[in-house]
Amino acid sequence: MLYPEIVIAGCGNPLFADDGFGPAVIEEMEKLSLPDNVMIVDAGLGGPHFIFTLLDPEVTKKLVIVDIADYGAEPGSITKLRVEDLPPGAYRDAHSWDLSEPLQRIKDRVDITIVGVQPARVTAPEFEEGLSEKLQEAIPKTIRVILEIIGVDYGTTIINLQEERRQHGTAETCSSDESR
Amino acid sequence: MSKVVEISPTTRHEGHSKLVLKVNDQGIIETGNWCSITPVRGVEKLAVGKTPEQVPKIASRVCGICPIAHNLAATEAMEASIKCEIPKDALMLRHILQLANRLHSIALHDILILPDLYLPGTEVKINPFTAEEPVRTVAKRIQRLREIGQTIGQIAGGDCIHPRNTRIGGMYRNVSEQAKTKMYDLAKEGLPLAKAQMDLMIAILRNYQARESVDVGGMKVALPKTLGYHNQGYLATHAFYGCSSLEECPSWDINRFKEVRPWDWYMGEMEVSLEEPRYPIGGTTKLGTKVNPQMEACTGIPMYDGQPVEVGPRARLVTYKNFDEKGTVGQNIAREMEYTDCFYEMFDCLEALNTNGKVVADYIPDGDGSLGWATNEAPRGCDAHIARVKDWKVQYFSMLVPTTWNFATCSAALQGAPWQLAEVIMRGYDPCVSCATHMIVLDEENKVVAQKLIQ
Repeated sequence: MLYPEIVIAGCGNPLFADDGFGPAVIEEMEKLSLPDNVMIVDAGLGGPHFIFTLLDPEVTKKLVIVDIADYGAEPGSITKLRVEDLPPGAYRDAHSWDLSEPLQRIKDRVDITIVGVQPARVTAPEFEEGLSEKLQEAIPKTIRVILEIIGVDYGTTIINLQEERRQHGTAETCSSDESR
Repeated sequence: MSKVVEISPTTRHEGHSKLVLKVNDQGIIETGNWCSITPVRGVEKLAVGKTPEQVPKIASRVCGICPIAHNLAATEAMEASIKCEIPKDALMLRHILQLANRLHSIALHDILILPDLYLPGTEVKINPFTAEEPVRTVAKRIQRLREIGQTIGQIAGGDCIHPRNTRIGGMYRNVSEQAKTKMYDLAKEGLPLAKAQMDLMIAILRNYQARESVDVGGMKVALPKTLGYHNQGYLATHAFYGCSSLEECPSWDINRFKEVRPWDWYMGEMEVSLEEPRYPIGGTTKLGTKVNPQMEACTGIPMYDGQPVEVGPRARLVTYKNFDEKGTVGQNIAREMEYTDCFYEMFDCLEALNTNGKVVADYIPDGDGSLGWATNEAPRGCDAHIARVKDWKVQYFSMLVPTTWNFATCSAALQGAPWQLAEVIMRGYDPCVSCATHMIVLDEENKVVAQKLIQ
């Protein structure tokens, strides 16, 4: 089988600045030593074609999608979404599959989590390379969130992550974060 | 009197495009304009000043479904400019990667066109996702063919979507003997499946061709025998792979190519005067909407010897195998006929591949600013990349992608067909209109659909 039990797919286009967050996370995760039943894939724009419609629910039990998600938060903030939370067309329209959603077809048989990160700038349709600073900083945290989802423990807890976030920001941003 | 109807966006292909059709009282297309509405700008600008290693990676991100063709064409355009010849075994790996990608693409295209076609002997259009037999068996076979294509591509290319084994001067690493055997086994499993799938699809397409009329959204539409015919020429540069300016007798000539702006070619501003709410999916564009293909089209019109040409499977078969069937059905049949060719060619490449051979050129020049180009016969046609590299920096880069060639040709092919079948003609070209961004956004009521996970 092409895809194993756990698949982590980084979606997005690095030519549109922060849209390249998913592939950037995958590139960073390649440095980790992961269990044999985990596959990490730089899906680029090909997620619906090359992964979501090719998963065999008999084999693949868990799918984690890393992407940007505009949900009105501070850039770099991380959220976990389920397929039900996605607006219609999130993983379909650019590919016009059959106007049904490939994730909807498999969501009852595969455990799907979308790790969404608020982008700062997406330059589409103009090309621009490179993530903004806030998103670059969000990569390690995102990886820890993914590792937690797939049950790989490198000894870092969420509480420590929160501590680390405070160190990054200024006094103002910390207080605004806490007041929210 | 002519009426104007617009189908936007078109569906079951890659990217965003639309059809603006001027039709007569019988609904027959007098002038058809198929144009891309996916803006892709600046790859040429972005590439300037980058290293030749970076540009193929950028090129492969332009599109969601042909990253392999773009990666290979861009890499080879760089190699053509710096005049670097790669070892034979590296070329074999690239051939295998490209054939695996084509195999996947044909299988995917089957799924995309099946809903237009009928189950032979019935009046039922095919839903490739139904759990009922016999379609389920067919769908499983298509999925297996896609899996085989992707797995072989993953082994040869290092990654199944964005290949990372390719590099300027060859490949990063050769495959092991075991990996070669694995690819061979997969190809052996795939060949009979591809043969069966090809036979079935050709039978289904012939059945469609023989029909008097077809159903589109509850409308009974007469099926012309000349569906999708055009009188434009064909362009193919290789039966399987491609060519480059390094070759002694290249099969593509950059001097015969010219690009014109879309406003010379497309219709000007018009108003939609025919609306059909029954047309799938969600009806055509509303009455009174202003359309302006001249200004909305996002691509240029490439010409070869002063005319738009068709590229793709039929162009390859016409050029190299004396295939002569015209029209949309002929085009789809040509694509199906490439199924088994993928495997036969793959066997040859695997036999020729020496897993102990070197895969990187001994000397990789920095480039002297010469113009080099390479074409890659992507699943949907000739993908030509042009580059100029000097002192290991890219000075000029340009991509001439397959569907750009086909826009004007397909527009000509629309003429004389009932407007309801315009999308069927368009899908025959297996269009790949480049992708836009992939962001998840708020829903329409601006409701926050998510909670922040980490503050």
